[in-house]
Amino acid sequence: MREIFEKALKNNKNNGDYIEIRAEKKETTTIHFQGEKLEKINYSQQTGGNVRALVKGGWGFISFNQFDDLEEKIREAIEVASLIEKEEVSKLAMSLPVVEIINRELDKDFRQVSLREKKDLMENYNNIIMKSNHLIQSSNVIYTDRFSTIYFANSEGSYIEQEKPFLSAGFTAVAREGDNVQMSSESVGSTKGFAIMERISEKAQRAASRAVNLLKAQPVEGGEYTVILDQTLGGVFIHEAFGHLSEADFLYEDERMSGLMKLGKKFGSPQLNVVDDGSIPDLLGSAKYDDEGVRTKKNYLIKEGILAGRLHSRETAVKMGEEPTGNARALNYRFKPIVRMTNTYVENGDTPFEDLLSGIKKGIYARDCYGGMTTFEMFTFSAGEGFMIRYGKIAEPVKDVVLSGNLFTTLLNIEGVGNDLKMIESGGGCGKAGQNPLPVSFGSPHLRIKKVVVGGR
Amino acid sequence: MEKLLKQACEKVDSAELFKVKSKTIPVNFEVNRLKSIDISESEGKALRVINKGRIGFSSSTGKDGFNLMLEKAVATSEFGSTASFDFPGEMKRENKKKKNIAIYDEKAADKSIEEMVKIGEGIIERVKDFNRKLRCDVTILKDYSEIEYLNSRGGNFSYHKTTIAYSVMAQQTEDQDMLMIYSSLESGKDNLDAKELTSEIIENLEWGEKIVLVESGKMPVIFTPKAALVLILSIISGLNGKMILKKISPFTSQKNKKLWSDLLTFYSDGTIDFALGSAPFDDEGIEMKRVPLVEKGEIKNFYYDLQTAGMAGVESTGNGLRAGIQSEPVPGISNLIMEEGKVSFKEMIKDIPEGIVIDQVLGLGQGNIISGAFSNNVQLGYKIEKGKIAGRVKDVMIAGNAIEELKNIAALGNKAKWVEGKYKFPHIYLKSLSVSAKK
Repeated sequence: MREIFEKALKNNKNNGDYIEIRAEKKETTTIHFQGEKLEKINYSQQTGGNVRALVKGGWGFISFNQFDDLEEKIREAIEVASLIEKEEVSKLAMSLPVVEIINRELDKDFRQVSLREKKDLMENYNNIIMKSNHLIQSSNVIYTDRFSTIYFANSEGSYIEQEKPFLSAGFTAVAREGDNVQMSSESVGSTKGFAIMERISEKAQRAASRAVNLLKAQPVEGGEYTVILDQTLGGVFIHEAFGHLSEADFLYEDERMSGLMKLGKKFGSPQLNVVDDGSIPDLLGSAKYDDEGVRTKKNYLIKEGILAGRLHSRETAVKMGEEPTGNARALNYRFKPIVRMTNTYVENGDTPFEDLLSGIKKGIYARDCYGGMTTFEMFTFSAGEGFMIRYGKIAEPVKDVVLSGNLFTTLLNIEGVGNDLKMIESGGGCGKAGQNPLPVSFGSPHLRIKKVVVGGR
Repeated sequence: MEKLLKQACEKVDSAELFKVKSKTIPVNFEVNRLKSIDISESEGKALRVINKGRIGFSSSTGKDGFNLMLEKAVATSEFGSTASFDFPGEMKRENKKKKNIAIYDEKAADKSIEEMVKIGEGIIERVKDFNRKLRCDVTILKDYSEIEYLNSRGGNFSYHKTTIAYSVMAQQTEDQDMLMIYSSLESGKDNLDAKELTSEIIENLEWGEKIVLVESGKMPVIFTPKAALVLILSIISGLNGKMILKKISPFTSQKNKKLWSDLLTFYSDGTIDFALGSAPFDDEGIEMKRVPLVEKGEIKNFYYDLQTAGMAGVESTGNGLRAGIQSEPVPGISNLIMEEGKVSFKEMIKDIPEGIVIDQVLGLGQGNIISGAFSNNVQLGYKIEKGKIAGRVKDVMIAGNAIEELKNIAALGNKAKWVEGKYKFPHIYLKSLSVSAKK
């Protein structure tokens, strides 16, 4: 790739202000059990690439599957970029050229594991779900592995090759009693070897037993509650509700939004610390360099309750007069890098779980997550499992727990931060601007939040 | 392609190749100005084989690599599902009423980027004329695709197709309040009216100027066509032949039973000219047609692809759709059309002493869809007081069970609207729904 890229860049040296080329080669295997049956087992190979060109502040972008005429693609990207007239020129923050080739060694490389071994293992998990209880109606066990190599070069002299392995397994159990149908899911994602897939039978078991338990749960009564979020839901909350607002592309062209997200503003109590860090080795959101070739690092978003930083691409950094943070990420070769989170978490506080519970007369303990969404200040997410808290004790299970609210008030309403941080690596991912699912990880200790609106009948 | 297929058939019983080539160009405006122009060219093929009675599948982008594709398809067939169908032979549309379906518009295919830029600028201009302080993001998109299908039993078809789409997001921020309004138009034909979009947005902005409070409780609600999926999504998912076959759907033994209000009638129809889900054939060579799903509150049909239909012992309904070349066909909805009622949106509002209009929600499809349960934050909604729109609501959630709520439809609107170019919904007026508000 390097020669092809360098030749194409060299021959377009005098065109455009900045040009970058990315390519991706990947192989994907998917195995899907549904109910008693193997639903799907398939394989795909993809090769694709893109060119992004900056001409007098306008961006042109072209993605493709055929590399036959890379120089022509560069010319096309420059041509569409030139159609964009700008009053105000977008520039890029400085980033030193890097030449590096990063290979990954896996403890049990899934590319060497036979299709039969993968299938047998997933079949085993599927059986665990299906046979766990007579009320289990159906299941979904979805396994995916993907080995990608990303090639990057730009007109500033960078050339980076990064290998990115990814594998995931998702378990869904469907329980049914008459017309009452309940579902529960568990998943695992990883950038490491196949070995991790061999020790997750407990997850399959948990999905099944939780689905059965939900059959007995009553729908939660809607209203305002003090809520305790477990590590998963706490992580989802901080990612969805707060993390997305820290992405500078939301802010840099919008005066009012950047006013709301002014550094130094109080966002929570002094025990609240929020971090995004793409440089932690081998988590789902990790990489040594982001998709603009910028080195990733640890970025504090909230420090001691005060807004301390945000996430940048090279373009947003220069706009806001800040440093790039290594957060420009693209889902795949079809997309441009945009500002994304990597591994986002709330740092540990010092309150043990029991102390968080104490003093709550009537509240909700919300665990795990079905899904979440945010639009600027408003967020909503569904708990995978919920319990009433009565007089400081966890009481009966409830279902259909959907939490919703305004981010700013909710962050200020965090009144307790636990001491049991856990990073969550699930098989799902994050969605933004049509780029979904991008692998990320998130985490949190248990969080206690007052005055949360819970939807219900 | 025929050569590749012959090569495949030396190793397997029968084989099918599905090939897609497309070019999509979105012109993107952000914060009121032209931000980027993207070109996305894609090409790929999918190979499905039946080998010793089992299904194998693989896909690939790029020109070469057919041998590897074939090898992987054969390898996966070792564990694949038992095929309960064979690929269809000769393909022609038999429906006499609707022999040709218009899905290609030369004007759309030839639309220039400069023209697309002008349309976007025009939209932003009109919205900004209403209020200079608004942030407006606009995308003007065109797409051209070619589909080619061929199988070893002699079945083959090909077609080309165009799409034009305009989408707008208008945003108004004041202190900690943010008002966001989305609107979009999609068609296979270059006949979209940008004014329709902007006037809808401006009407919403006017309604949304004032924020009003709502008390928690049960109250009448109107879902606009844009929000109708909140109620319909779980029904669509429950009518999927695969969900029925696996007995996951609550409708498994409910065919020809009356479950909902008489007013409720909808069908899947892949033969509507220039609707985004239309095509002469589905993605495995079965003629697209109109399939009544619910008539007067009664379930009439489930929808099927070939494999699921074979397993269920019924015929495919022509709903075998692929979500891209990496996916095998599964039962899917081409276009979904809900029949209109007789009451205008204005009359519905007039009828309500106290209630809300729901236009945009957060968390669509989140939660336990198949059970019918929904619980959504009302991202854009309006309070009705004494038969009039009083203002916008905030921090409000709605919750219910779609399967239950659709029993109590008070009225359906008399003017259905296309949503996402493939759903056509009227306004849906429910007598009563749970609404929770922040105190």
